[in-house]
Amino acid sequence: MTRDANPIAGRTDPMEERWVSLAREGDEDAFASLVRAHQDRLYHVALRLVGHPADAQDAVQECLLQAWQHLDGFRGEAQFSTWVTRILINRCHNVLRARKLTVPLPDDIGSAEGLPQATSAEDLAVRAQRRDAVRTAVLSLPFDQRAPLVLTVFGGYTHAEMGRILGISETAAKVRAHRGRKTLLSRLQEWR
Amino acid sequence: MFPSNSEDDDRLPCGAGVDDLLTQVAEHAPPRDPAHQRSCPHCRAALAELADLWAPVTELAAEDVRAPAGLLQEVMTQIRELSRNAWHAVLTDPTGQTRIAARVVGAVARLAAESVPHVSVALGNGRPETGAGQSPSPTEIAGAAGEPATDVGIAGSHVVIDVQIAVDYGVPIIRVAQEVRNRITEHLVAHTGLITSEVNVIVVDVLASPPTET
Repeated sequence: MTRDANPIAGRTDPMEERWVSLAREGDEDAFASLVRAHQDRLYHVALRLVGHPADAQDAVQECLLQAWQHLDGFRGEAQFSTWVTRILINRCHNVLRARKLTVPLPDDIGSAEGLPQATSAEDLAVRAQRRDAVRTAVLSLPFDQRAPLVLTVFGGYTHAEMGRILGISETAAKVRAHRGRKTLLSRLQEWR
Repeated sequence: MFPSNSEDDDRLPCGAGVDDLLTQVAEHAPPRDPAHQRSCPHCRAALAELADLWAPVTELAAEDVRAPAGLLQEVMTQIRELSRNAWHAVLTDPTGQTRIAARVVGAVARLAAESVPHVSVALGNGRPETGAGQSPSPTEIAGAAGEPATDVGIAGSHVVIDVQIAVDYGVPIIRVAQEVRNRITEHLVAHTGLITSEVNVIVVDVLASPPTET
């Protein structure tokens, strides 16, 4: 599940360290390499957090721009991915706050059209519908549950990394991720 | 969620915790008691149910989500633009470009913040020594010496403002900070046409209200 740009969790990739160091000196190509290495994962996290592709793209772009402007402040105590994801989470939070987002749940929640029964799970269309239901359910979670869930399930971060991103302990990260999972599951169960 | 033996805990009739089973399914964690699980119909049924519920989540997570094709180029274009116009906001119009210096944006933000009742803006001259019972002048309040009261980040037509303020003692700080945020956003769009992406308000001091004359 973990898809860190760094091969070994918690260890910094020497190549990435070099890119960060060059980018800090103003090397735009080095920063482009960092963007290339992390953009897919950042976008995936943003998409599941804010729901709309355009908003997710804006959040990632603003996050990367902010990262470029504040590279001086990145001392390398954390991995670049942790640091930049922390910026992204704040950007996404701001996007949602600005939108005053209370994600409207689809009108059919609770109806028979919610989550299809497992008997038709072989059908691709039904499976797509179930994934849509998950997307909506994730967006319906409060942000303090959504962020840990998205980071672990969709971002592939470990609990330790997620804790560092959110500025909480690994234990607290585990608890929050589990709480998010439980809420998500109960929503999915309600919609069946 | 599932049948439970107690009212406040999700437990199966066999005593196994549903939370553990959920972790097992969602994180592919090993079972706590494999031997029990193999023979327990409650556990096996619950695991099947959880696996079925969680399957679309796993499928969604496995989707190959890629950043939009133009994202890298867009970011790098903005960064290059930023390097060229590090201290200017740039508003592009078919008839030409308008560049607004960052210090102008900072000044507008500062004046906007100061227009909020009970707010004084720190000017970054360092905190002066004050005697007991004396309050520093609002124009002299600041953090470290030389630290600017407003820090402005600009990219194209988007700005991010950090502003340091002092507020009168006794007023609700959160409400005042929000008012400062709103006022800066409104003034910047009205006076410069710039879009404020973020206003961070740093409250660095509280001031005793001046005594009212009787």
